[in-house]
Amino acid sequence: MKAAVSALCIGLFTCIGLVSEASAAAKCIKGDRKAPYTIGWANIYSVPTWMKQTEGTIAAEVEELKKKGLVDKLVITDAQGDANVQIQQIQSMIDADVDAIILIAGSSTAPARVVADACAKGIAVINFDSLVDTDEVTAKINTDSNEWGDTAAKWLIDQLGGKGKILVLNGPAGISVSDDRRKGANAALAANPGIEILAETNTAYNVAPAQEAVTSLLFAHPQIDGILSLGGALSAGAILAMDKQGRPMVPITGENARQFLELWKDKDLKSWATMQPNWLGALATYTAVQALEGKDVPAFVKVPLPIIDNSTIDSYLARAKDFPADGYIYSPYDQKLFDELLAAK
Amino acid sequence: MIRSGDTALYWRAQRERNRGLLGLFAVVAAFLALYAYLFPGLLTVAGISKFAQSWLPLALVAMAQAILMLTGGISLAIGATVSLGAVIAATTMTGYLGVAGGVVAVSAAGLAIGALCGVIAIRLRLPAIIVTLAAAFIIAGLALLILPRPGGAIPGWFSDLLAGNTPAALFILIFIALLWKLYLATPLGLSLYAAGENPVGAYRAGVPVDAARIAAYAISGLLSTLAGLFIAAQTGSGDPVIGQAFTLNSIAAAVLGGVGFLGGRGTMRGAIAGSLLLSVMINVMFFLGFSPVAQYVAQGLIIIGAVALPQITARFRRTR
Repeated sequence: MKAAVSALCIGLFTCIGLVSEASAAAKCIKGDRKAPYTIGWANIYSVPTWMKQTEGTIAAEVEELKKKGLVDKLVITDAQGDANVQIQQIQSMIDADVDAIILIAGSSTAPARVVADACAKGIAVINFDSLVDTDEVTAKINTDSNEWGDTAAKWLIDQLGGKGKILVLNGPAGISVSDDRRKGANAALAANPGIEILAETNTAYNVAPAQEAVTSLLFAHPQIDGILSLGGALSAGAILAMDKQGRPMVPITGENARQFLELWKDKDLKSWATMQPNWLGALATYTAVQALEGKDVPAFVKVPLPIIDNSTIDSYLARAKDFPADGYIYSPYDQKLFDELLAAK
Repeated sequence: MIRSGDTALYWRAQRERNRGLLGLFAVVAAFLALYAYLFPGLLTVAGISKFAQSWLPLALVAMAQAILMLTGGISLAIGATVSLGAVIAATTMTGYLGVAGGVVAVSAAGLAIGALCGVIAIRLRLPAIIVTLAAAFIIAGLALLILPRPGGAIPGWFSDLLAGNTPAALFILIFIALLWKLYLATPLGLSLYAAGENPVGAYRAGVPVDAARIAAYAISGLLSTLAGLFIAAQTGSGDPVIGQAFTLNSIAAAVLGGVGFLGGRGTMRGAIAGSLLLSVMINVMFFLGFSPVAQYVAQGLIIIGAVALPQITARFRRTR
């Protein structure tokens, strides 16, 4: 019975695939690949909790797609942070002729050529979160990092009434995501000359280095009115640093890191946070299969930035126990949301 | 040059240098055979080309590190220098300097930075590890100044020439290995091992110890920026932090290849074999379907195994 149902499903999907194939196929898709598909997940670094959570959403989505007979295998590589190794691993995926590659890039430029090679071989390439500067992919999926920085800066300026001394906490230098978030804040900061930037830092998106950096900045600056933090772990590190020195809490921006959200509630802060939802991984997997099935998917899927503020934080913390202590509490997702995002042009 | 009467001495030295490397060569050959078995496409021109392209940068930095380690030095600035080479290439080649000008600029930067590090470390008698650590920060900063975020471009035809479907990377490596052989025949090259193994004795014997060491730093810098140039060509663009992982990997490859930390011990062929093992390992583990966690463990075990192998065989030889 079950087998018959899934056979029917496969049949149906193939039909739908053939019908829409005639109309329009997504980029990189040649229509010669048949379900069930092998999906390659080219990860840049699997150790951070954020990445483990992302991998979790991908694995969960693959399980769903397996039930429908659309996917039979998920192969995972981990470049251990090395963009050169990632290129090599993507090349191996091409050599092994996987049907789709989903990718978080370790460098926004380095994988461009190998990704174009994959595309030319008819492999669906879905690039999400950390994007590559090339159009030779089936689709890119991301939130808008510029908008992130802009909204965060505007919220903080608003909190300070347009006047005050602030710290700016950035992710690592030379990384496009961190650069884009920072650039997004520029216009709002320039429009408010009353806001004085005391100091800026660049650290990895980790609590410990951020705490260390902010600790030394606190010694140097007796008066700080607000903190423009462009990463969740950075915000948590800043709060811990201020708490240790007994400094009064100030308005701070951040991201959906569980530790930050809990400190926010614990210290009764006035804060604002957004997120790069971990389920972008699941969405990328879903999109890859949709494209392979012949559906025309948008070249760029812009995922709106979910906002957490003092009115919604409780709803996030209520689900906190479902997420790792050093992980991210992301907004809920389902297939309906995915279909909506893919339908939006 | 080696005179005919010295041939026996030459081969004795070669045999001495090869000792302990045979195990590594066997391991590398086994991995290559396994890779070719798992992925038969390797044994095509395109397959060899692609593999050589992913291997070449690591081979170059392994050589860059090995030449320093042979003189008793070490560099923690290799990764940053690779990044610098990549960003210089990506910012000059599409400008009025053109590809040839870009290659000259990249080479000059590598030689100059390497030589400067060498002069500071050797003439001021400062520990190489400190000098190159400081240099790493400065060079990484320079790379970020030249290209604050990934970007720039390499002319498409140049990328295709070096990293298209031709085994250019393999030929480059063979060419550089031959140059190395020639360098070892020059007075400075000849002094390398002596300067590393017994600097005081070498100095008393009239060997230009300091010059040999500074030249080694300059060549090391050149090899590093050339690795960056190749990566830029391979990727079609520049990234100011692309080289980071190469510092540790260059040391790993050199040590794996039997190059000693104390100078005077090891060979370039060993370092190149070490880098080949590190590179082929990644592909083999992919085709064996190892999970990322298993890859971490396996990688560590293989490295320890390959380093321990010569020790174990040496002990076996002694007790026999």
